[in-house]
Amino acid sequence: MLELRSLSTTVGEFEFGPVDLTVGDEVLSVLGPSGSGKTTLLSLVAGIIDQDSGTISLHGSVLDGQSLQQRQTGLVFQDGALFPHMTARENIAYGASDPERVADLADLLEIADVLDRRPPALSGGERKRVALARTLAADPAVLLLDEPLSSLDAPIRRRLRRELPGLFASLDIPVIYVTHDQQTATAVGDRTAVFRDGAIEQVGSPASVINRPATRFVARFTGNENLFEAAPVDRVEDGAVVCVDDLRLQTTCPNPPETGGTVSIHPSRIRIHAQGAAVDAGCPNTASGTVDRWLHEGDRYRVAVDVADAPLTLTATIRPPRFDQLAVAVGSSVRVTIPPDSIHFIDQ
Amino acid sequence: MFPTKSRTEAAVERFDWVSVTFLLGAVLLCYYLVPLLSLLFSQPPGTVIQRLSTPDVVSAATTSLTASLASVAIATLFGLPLAYWLARADGRVKTIVTALVVLPLVLPPIVSGMVLLTVVGPATALGQFAAANGLPLTRSTAGVVLAQTFVSSPFLVITAKAAFESVDRKLEYASHSLGKSRLTTFRRVTLPLAWQGILAGITLAFARAIGEFGATIMLAYYPRTMPVQIWVSFTTLGLDNAFPVAVILVGIAVTTLVVLNALGTNPLE
Repeated sequence: MLELRSLSTTVGEFEFGPVDLTVGDEVLSVLGPSGSGKTTLLSLVAGIIDQDSGTISLHGSVLDGQSLQQRQTGLVFQDGALFPHMTARENIAYGASDPERVADLADLLEIADVLDRRPPALSGGERKRVALARTLAADPAVLLLDEPLSSLDAPIRRRLRRELPGLFASLDIPVIYVTHDQQTATAVGDRTAVFRDGAIEQVGSPASVINRPATRFVARFTGNENLFEAAPVDRVEDGAVVCVDDLRLQTTCPNPPETGGTVSIHPSRIRIHAQGAAVDAGCPNTASGTVDRWLHEGDRYRVAVDVADAPLTLTATIRPPRFDQLAVAVGSSVRVTIPPDSIHFIDQ
Repeated sequence: MFPTKSRTEAAVERFDWVSVTFLLGAVLLCYYLVPLLSLLFSQPPGTVIQRLSTPDVVSAATTSLTASLASVAIATLFGLPLAYWLARADGRVKTIVTALVVLPLVLPPIVSGMVLLTVVGPATALGQFAAANGLPLTRSTAGVVLAQTFVSSPFLVITAKAAFESVDRKLEYASHSLGKSRLTTFRRVTLPLAWQGILAGITLAFARAIGEFGATIMLAYYPRTMPVQIWVSFTTLGLDNAFPVAVILVGIAVTTLVVLNALGTNPLE
């Protein structure tokens, strides 16, 4: 178990921490924009930079003051940092605890065919795999990955995003996976920590970070544009009814703030239906609207719907088959349903 | 209506700027090459070969080569660590140390000789101590080495510093994180990647050392190096007499470049 206690440092003008974090034998995906302290976190754990205060411990033993080579932290850099004068095989064997592991890891990561090539002759995906194999060959006690899927083509990124969780699960060591991509963070991490300005904004399961953001920042950074001011108007058996402009929405929120507050509704939870079609049975929150705009985002579409009965725009994300099925077009009339449990009051 | 361009604009686009830069650079190349070829063809090969075998030339060539190799070895031994430190250090101290390293480059060589004489000259404590222990620091090969090291080592330090700086620090961090010590990392990662630049520095330092004249003549008129021998031949017997020795010196310098070039792929690239 990796434990960070009141960890803080200063790098130039940038102040990091204090950060308290515990990572068991799991994958913690660290999400945040550039300059939020993600890479600083990895540098501190790896021992590249020293903390001003606080403690880092691994399985109970304190790492403070230990050099990089003593820490047994496997660090995978964003660009791989492969040794350019060595072949892929030599790179992997460089720190390998057992030379036979080179072939095993090459098979596991499907790079056996490129072992005799030097880094410049490898594709982006192959370089990332070799870098990962090199780190794993040294049997690290902690695995630190700095945006390993960035700058890869979308198909390779999607494929690795599918494969990596299984690989990490087989390691049984703490893994910190830094990314600025929300989809990757939620796909790879058992838990997600959102960083902002050198501090943790929220830690929790990917589902809780997406569906129950602690702050407006977390909501926006996880792709949630649906942030509205809402006031409670009634109580029902399983929650409350809130009013967002003129739109009444039933929520499962048991104790909404009496004076109201900001609610978030993640776009992935809002469903769009063709006008006149049957909507989700049992969902009390439905509204008619008109498609204002839509945007293709790789494996999904983001659709903005102007609600007919209230001056607000709801954003929903839908998969391509559904998008085609609905024949979404700007100006087309649709109905939206909003599950009560997707409406969440955020603190700030 | 189609967009039109003025004749001047079209002519500017057609103009081959790369060829112009080469033509301008070719003037400088000629300035290097013509005097060298002139020197080469001014002497019949027989005369050069004959002078090559005379004792004063053999002695001067031996002194020059031995002292240059020794000074480059010293510069490498102490200069490489300094270059590495400079490449990895930050802050004001680094700026001051870099300025200090560059200082011998900007000093006139004869002034460098004078500066050295104030420290290792026969009247100084260090000079007297060394001479008393059988190692005179002036009028000796040691004096030649001291002079050559002073003026040539900055070439090695500055070039090697740039070579070390070009090695991404992430590669060193990666090596450390894979459990390798600083020494192993330097030997297996940093040095191989910086090697071509270091070799360029060694080449430049050697070339500067073997051609050193100003500081050498102040510290060690004897034993004569080849530049000193050229100067002596020129002042006592005239220009024609100095030419063959100059051709030999140019030959040694070119051979050195070729040999060092063959050791690496191309150190000066």
